[in-house]
Amino acid sequence: MTLPLGVTFESFTDFGFWTSVGILAGTYTLFTLGLQLNVGFTGIVNFGQAGFMAIGAYTMGILVVKYDWSFWLALPAAVLVAIAFGLLIGLPSLRLRADYFAIATIAAAEIVRITAQNARELTGGNQGLFGFEGEWDNVSDSIESGLQSLGWSDPETLFPLFLVVWATALIATALLHFGTSSPWGRVLRAVREDEDAARALGKNTLVYKLQSLAISATLGALAGFFLALNLNYLNPEEFEPLFTFIGYAVLVLGGLANYWGVAFGAVIMWTILEGTRFVDLPISAEREAAVRFMIVGLVLILLMAFRPQGVFGKKEEMVLGD
Amino acid sequence: MTDGAAQEELAPPPAAVTRSAEGRSPGAADGGPILEVEGVVKRFGGILAVDAATFDVEERSVTALIGPNGAGKTTLFNVITGFYRADRGSIRFQGREIIRRPPHVVARLGMVRTFQITKALARMPVIDNMMLAAPEQPGEHLVNLVLRPGASLRREQEVRARAEELLEVFQLAGLRDEYAGVLSGGQRKLLEFARALMAEPKMLLLDEPMAGINPTLGARLLEHMQTLRSERGVTFLFVEHDMEVVMGHSDRVIVMAEGKVIASGPPEEVRRDRRVIDAYLGGGAVGEERSR
Repeated sequence: MTLPLGVTFESFTDFGFWTSVGILAGTYTLFTLGLQLNVGFTGIVNFGQAGFMAIGAYTMGILVVKYDWSFWLALPAAVLVAIAFGLLIGLPSLRLRADYFAIATIAAAEIVRITAQNARELTGGNQGLFGFEGEWDNVSDSIESGLQSLGWSDPETLFPLFLVVWATALIATALLHFGTSSPWGRVLRAVREDEDAARALGKNTLVYKLQSLAISATLGALAGFFLALNLNYLNPEEFEPLFTFIGYAVLVLGGLANYWGVAFGAVIMWTILEGTRFVDLPISAEREAAVRFMIVGLVLILLMAFRPQGVFGKKEEMVLGD
Repeated sequence: MTDGAAQEELAPPPAAVTRSAEGRSPGAADGGPILEVEGVVKRFGGILAVDAATFDVEERSVTALIGPNGAGKTTLFNVITGFYRADRGSIRFQGREIIRRPPHVVARLGMVRTFQITKALARMPVIDNMMLAAPEQPGEHLVNLVLRPGASLRREQEVRARAEELLEVFQLAGLRDEYAGVLSGGQRKLLEFARALMAEPKMLLLDEPMAGINPTLGARLLEHMQTLRSERGVTFLFVEHDMEVVMGHSDRVIVMAEGKVIASGPPEEVRRDRRVIDAYLGGGAVGEERSR
């Protein structure tokens, strides 16, 4: 009788494999940091993060490919568009109750994705958008030769991207940490706890919620850039609501109201999602993909049972659960 | 309003009369009206919650707002502080029309409220609850965090010192680093009161400040009210059901019933007012025959 499943260990020690897992984890760290700011520190339930990611990635891609913008100019422009989009959604819907706001954001994100699917002249639709990474490749190459001069004879092609993603993620984590431990962050937390109390004490809470959403949109757009550079193309499929929910799983895993938990959660999540590819199950590929999410689900259930505040979260500051 | 000597001024047993209170008899209202409410109407669908309410609150007075349940007291509070938008009428605070102003603007003008059900920010430490309330904090704006970190930091130190003073006064200093969520109901009331003071109010609107707290704490709260009024010139408007508190601690009483202001005046006068007795108690004098 043959073993029903076998594990191939070669790729498990494959540096290239871990580089790509690392890039995904870094990308979703940025993505989820926005959710952490919104949900963990401001109490606004943003279910549209994949939409901000799509806006950032597609604006950058379209400006470079269709309008011949410089990649480096397209980046800040795309961030601004994502912020504008965030404010556009936020202004009418942040006055709603938290659950209605959540519905509004998921709808907005779906509008973005479905528009990307159908505005084929601009976005390439389901065929995808290609050819925006040229200027990044030059930078990547010079980082690579830098690594070579440090004595690494044959660096992984994606390793420069890995470095830049994580540098960005760490800087963002540190900045957010600084921001939310300031008086500004104190107001955000007050909004999370009780918006009326904050208003009664003279705080313009709508402005703070909009700022929180705008920063989250920025982080979503940044994640979109790295996603685009990782894939070298853009496809609407990459921005399905599923990815927002993966972000939430990362959030819960790492713990709410803690930024360092986000990076931790993202690494665990993508290790589970990608690492399970090594397990050879005697089933079809689609089913194997489903099994991966079942494992994620199981991990989350166990977490809720034994450590509901997440790995880094504080029980006293559990934001979900009352 | 200077903050320097505030701590001693706030200390429970009435301290010496300070400069600001010189020549004024403590306990008596003076100055003109600080709040003028005129013909305010608030409707919820077919229900007239506040029906052409008109009254003044004298500066430096302790004014009680009473009335049976459903009289519209809390709704009126919400309208005055901008949480509800009035359908009609005029509300002037220090002569300035505030009826279309949002709550945070009203608060910044110096009119600060507390809530009937306390709004302690549960998952924030007590000290953060306090520091949040201080006005004019440059560090609350992202731009200043980057461009004026020094100013933000200096103000933060001032605010922290002030918060610690007030926690000391309200005997909450030992709980300074606890999450506000672990406080007892009475401690939360005190915290909310202290936090409102952090906002440096000219006028405080307290919605049932004594409800659910033990008599000792209640007495302390009342003492603080009197001290703040006589020494810092803070005006108080409070909703209260305990008639002993109302009759014993207020200069003026405003009585509401079914959305209307039916009487106002000194406590002795109001308690004998026929309309009040009819509307409020259905017979007997207020505070004498009412069994609670």
